[in-house]
Amino acid sequence: MKVEAKTCHEQTHRPLFTWTRMWAVLVLAGLLGGLSLSGSSSAGELMAPPRVHTPPGAADSADEPLGPFPGVVAPEGTYEGKNVEQPIEFPHDLHADTNKINCLYCHTYARRSAVAGIPPTSKCMGCHNVIATDRPRIKKLTEYWEKGESPPWKKVHDLPDYVRFTHERHLKKFLFDNPDMSVERVDEVCALCHGNVKKMTVARKQKPLTMGFCTRCHEANDGPFDCQKCHK
Amino acid sequence: MSKIEFDRRDFLKVMGVSGVAATVAGCDMPSYITSEEGAEEVIPYLSPEEFVIPGVGVHYASTCLQCPATCGIRGRVREGRVLKLEGNPKSALNTGKLCQMGQAGLQTHYNPDRLTKPLVRKDGALAEATWEDALALIEEKTGPSSGLSGGRFAWLTGTISGHQSVLLKAHLESLGSSSHFVHEVINTRVWQAVCQDMLGQSMPRLRIDKAKMVLSFGADFLGTWMSPIHFSADYARFRSGEDRGMLVQAEPSMSLTGANADLWVALRPGTEGVMALGLANVLINKERMDASALPAAALELINQYGVSRTTKMTGIAGDRLIRIARHLKERSPSLVLAGASAAGHVGGYQSVQAAMLLNILLGNIDQTIEASGDFALPQLASVSGGTSDLSRFADAAGAGKLDAVFFDGSNPLFAAPNHLGLTEKFDSIPFKVAFSQFMDETTAHADVVLPMASALEDWGTHVAAYQGGDHEIAFQQPLMEPIYPGTRSFGDMLLALNSMRNPGSYDGLEDYYGYLQSAVGSIPGVLKGEDDEAINVSAWNRILQDGRLQMPVDTRAFTSNLSMDDMDVRDADPAFPYYLVPTPRGTLYDGRHANIPWLQESPDQISKVVWNSWAEIHPVTAAKLAVEEGDVITVTTPDGVLEVPVYIHKGIHVDVVAVPMGQGHEDYGRYARGRGVNPLKILQPGSDAKTGELALYGSRAALAATGRAGRLIKMGNTETQHGRKIVATITAEQQRRNEGDS
Amino acid sequence: MSLVRNFIEDWSRYRRSIDEGGFHEYEHMWGMVIDLDKCTGCNACSVACYAENNLAVVGEDKFENGQGMHWMRIERYWDEPNIGNERVRDTQEHGASFMPMMCQQCNSATCEPVCPVSAAYHTPDGLNAQIYNRCVGSRYCANNCPYRLRYFNFFSYYEDSWPSPLDMQLNPDITVRDKGVMEKCTFCVQRIRSTKNAAKMEDRQVVDGEVQTACQQTCPTSAIVFGDLLDHESDVHKLWHKHQTRLGTTKQKKDNPELRGYRLYEQLNTEPSVTYLERVRDV
Repeated sequence: MKVEAKTCHEQTHRPLFTWTRMWAVLVLAGLLGGLSLSGSSSAGELMAPPRVHTPPGAADSADEPLGPFPGVVAPEGTYEGKNVEQPIEFPHDLHADTNKINCLYCHTYARRSAVAGIPPTSKCMGCHNVIATDRPRIKKLTEYWEKGESPPWKKVHDLPDYVRFTHERHLKKFLFDNPDMSVERVDEVCALCHGNVKKMTVARKQKPLTMGFCTRCHEANDGPFDCQKCHK
Repeated sequence: MSKIEFDRRDFLKVMGVSGVAATVAGCDMPSYITSEEGAEEVIPYLSPEEFVIPGVGVHYASTCLQCPATCGIRGRVREGRVLKLEGNPKSALNTGKLCQMGQAGLQTHYNPDRLTKPLVRKDGALAEATWEDALALIEEKTGPSSGLSGGRFAWLTGTISGHQSVLLKAHLESLGSSSHFVHEVINTRVWQAVCQDMLGQSMPRLRIDKAKMVLSFGADFLGTWMSPIHFSADYARFRSGEDRGMLVQAEPSMSLTGANADLWVALRPGTEGVMALGLANVLINKERMDASALPAAALELINQYGVSRTTKMTGIAGDRLIRIARHLKERSPSLVLAGASAAGHVGGYQSVQAAMLLNILLGNIDQTIEASGDFALPQLASVSGGTSDLSRFADAAGAGKLDAVFFDGSNPLFAAPNHLGLTEKFDSIPFKVAFSQFMDETTAHADVVLPMASALEDWGTHVAAYQGGDHEIAFQQPLMEPIYPGTRSFGDMLLALNSMRNPGSYDGLEDYYGYLQSAVGSIPGVLKGEDDEAINVSAWNRILQDGRLQMPVDTRAFTSNLSMDDMDVRDADPAFPYYLVPTPRGTLYDGRHANIPWLQESPDQISKVVWNSWAEIHPVTAAKLAVEEGDVITVTTPDGVLEVPVYIHKGIHVDVVAVPMGQGHEDYGRYARGRGVNPLKILQPGSDAKTGELALYGSRAALAATGRAGRLIKMGNTETQHGRKIVATITAEQQRRNEGDS
Repeated sequence: MSLVRNFIEDWSRYRRSIDEGGFHEYEHMWGMVIDLDKCTGCNACSVACYAENNLAVVGEDKFENGQGMHWMRIERYWDEPNIGNERVRDTQEHGASFMPMMCQQCNSATCEPVCPVSAAYHTPDGLNAQIYNRCVGSRYCANNCPYRLRYFNFFSYYEDSWPSPLDMQLNPDITVRDKGVMEKCTFCVQRIRSTKNAAKMEDRQVVDGEVQTACQQTCPTSAIVFGDLLDHESDVHKLWHKHQTRLGTTKQKKDNPELRGYRLYEQLNTEPSVTYLERVRDV
């Protein structure tokens, strides 16, 4: 059985976390620690790092929040991600909003695996063999395909290597096991952590994806609170 | 049910303020802990198979080639990379289990020192070349127009079997040569010869699990002998239950099997056969066992080895000998094995023969030694290596009988003792081609070096020399795409070499995979019915999924041809009062795993030393030399000197110095180079008269302290438990009382 | 402050399940049995652990300083010639004593309460967890561990231990630990989690034998048994029961004192989750 060795979908293994960095965090935390003892809200907001880069004209419609859906308390927190330059400027809005393509059609691994995965290039070509073949972006895609390569997409939503997030279980809880939800509304579930991707072209990080963001949601939605569930 | 709410924040208050600060702050880490957007690339699959899901591992069956036992493995593959190897539960040989060498197969495959491009010798030095140039040179020197033929050409390989062996033989035939030297330092050739001569079958099945007592003369069946993982599972059954088996191990220095013995006996090297005859003597004369199965000549010989003579020659106390004999009689069926330390002497054959005689006397044949017959397809059967081929090869090379040699899977220049003078003889061969993954000592002396795909990147079939019950062909399939595009499959190379000699002979086959499929298809009833034209693809896929193909077992019974020759025990040379034992260990094996960091850092099972060589000596010897652990001594034989730090323990005969093999590489990558010493180099000449196998255990040595302290890096600093109950031990009697059928 | 009072009065009850008179409702209680009579000391488990858990190869210099990262190590002890009534022997005639040593996943772990940042804590499935990103490297835990099986990253081993392409083998389910972080055996928590994940995706319970630790899976003699102690049908529970070892005690009360099961240093009130079965010698 031949196996493609082309990709590395998962995390690279370069350790991001070092002892010296941790001390910096601790010292900072020590200064702020007293403040956080009484309140139930975390010290997170106090420490949210300043965002210097806001891409001009990028944030308008994408910031429009989706309404909450039944069976979930939406996690608080926003984040203004920077524009990431992708090899091809993929229009999420055109696919997911205008053409109403379900998120799971392309990000099909999300319900079967820990990672959602970037769709294989063959999936893009499945449609774009015939659709919109004259457009510059599709021409670029076809070029990659004919070279036998996949576009080197940039990771937008990345977690540190010591965090294990699983897409399949979150989808199961919020979507498949949720009697009030249907697969057609999967975009609302995705939006909890990915923001309203339907209104973006290239995906931009809209949620902080910090531990505070995760734990607030776990608290509100009765998620597990065992450290080793996510860190191992 | 009462449930007390346990709030982590309250808990932290108890823990103290610093903890609170850190953990609460930890809930929203600054962004440099969260990974930045756009910093990493994520490249999707181009066109994946339906079952390939990122983040989900898939297991593929294959075959382990880390030692000649050919256990089945399953590799966990994720995102196109093989991450972990496990035993293949469907393999009758290892039933899902794997040893440390097998686990470390990953680091052979991912080794940073692999060869990635062909090399051709130009002006005395190896230089990078293209595959076309390298193959053109091979065609020039060995192709049809080269005029090369007959015994002027030879292959030198390690143990080889399956379809690689078929193609290799075809290549030899195309050159009209029959010179195939098969070299393996750690082997069972003498045992096989004795079984063949006395029982009519070279590899009978050994039922350790059925035995109630195992007496082993240096057969390290848990570590390096024959098929260690198969025997380990047998051993577990042997040890459990009401009839927990008893293991007695007699050998010059403690092996892993010896470390697990109920009774470990330090034996003077070369006297294994004497001890076996002495035991037979006690069994016949004291225990009144029926000896009618033995020929008169053997009985006569046995009668010469009475208790006092045996004691004198072996150094074992008479009462102990009698006790072992009594156990053997009481615990029937038993099993007597003889391994490397018995066979590695000038009279090695006789020693193993004596052990087999003991089996016959004890009635173990057809009880714990079962007929296993030959492999159904003899052309695929294992061609097991030995050291006699090394000396034959040295002779042929030295006599200028070879014009061209191809070698694969063997490192003779590392393993050959100095007395063979192999390096000079090897260099005198005009054309040498290495099919190699690493720049080892032999490859460094080649004229053309062809970089091979690793065992986890290649196709192949393998047949174990020792089959555990069912007879199987083991399938090796790639667990991932080759890491280096410059490497090629050994099977493909064999096809290319054959096509070079006989153009058109393998037309219609795209590659070795195609060859394998059609070759397996030609085995009746496997992939095709009698009249079928095409092969059954789902049957083929099932074989690959299982990694195994069962073959009919030859049910031929043993034939009996008993003979017994007298022992050949050599006297000590007073100038060299010690015996030098080059210990085989299932870590670096014969040195082939010295380039694996996991195994270099895996503490030796007996001494717990890592990353280095050491010499094991008895405390009595240490006192004589006035050395302490870690002090450097010289080990001198007439053929050379080693300087090595000592490890002192009592699991060794007083007159023995044991130096493990595996280290002492001049080359072989960053992890192996310039580390430790190679005891094989200084072994003395001598070989077993019957089989020609080198007498690896027959060397004598002199020891001297250097007065220097060396570096002995060990795991743990304590040799005993100091009275603590860490490993608690009870007697078998107690266990028998408590656990009938556990 | 009732919590604090309880805490002081009976600390160990916080670690015990309701069945055992404690406060916790444990989901699982992962435990192990190692039969020292079957263990041959071959080291396969140790190398399997290196492969599974991204353990760094530290090299001879650091190994010499005791910085080797062998989460699963095989200790080897020789018989003591001076203890007992036996005469001083000149050989090790009963072979060696091998001890596979890894984190004992103590239920009343001495490492946990000393951690200043609670990086060492107990999970609801009875595991003694080490959270790498929380660890600040105080090394209090290692100093408090009576078994000496916590390993500290004194250096960053990434570059030296996995020169390309060795890094392609790294298990993506496990963090590669960096300098300043304590680490130890996790009972292959990534395997436990992925099996539980698979079970939950199918809305069922984890079946006994479904989770195998790397050491157990490779053990050539099957000396290691692993499973859920709360599952009364599991092999590991049956073995604990058969050998009359229990959690929640410092001294086992056995009807038959000759039964082989014992826990290492249980007199220290660590409540290890690993039962060893005594080595047997026929003499």
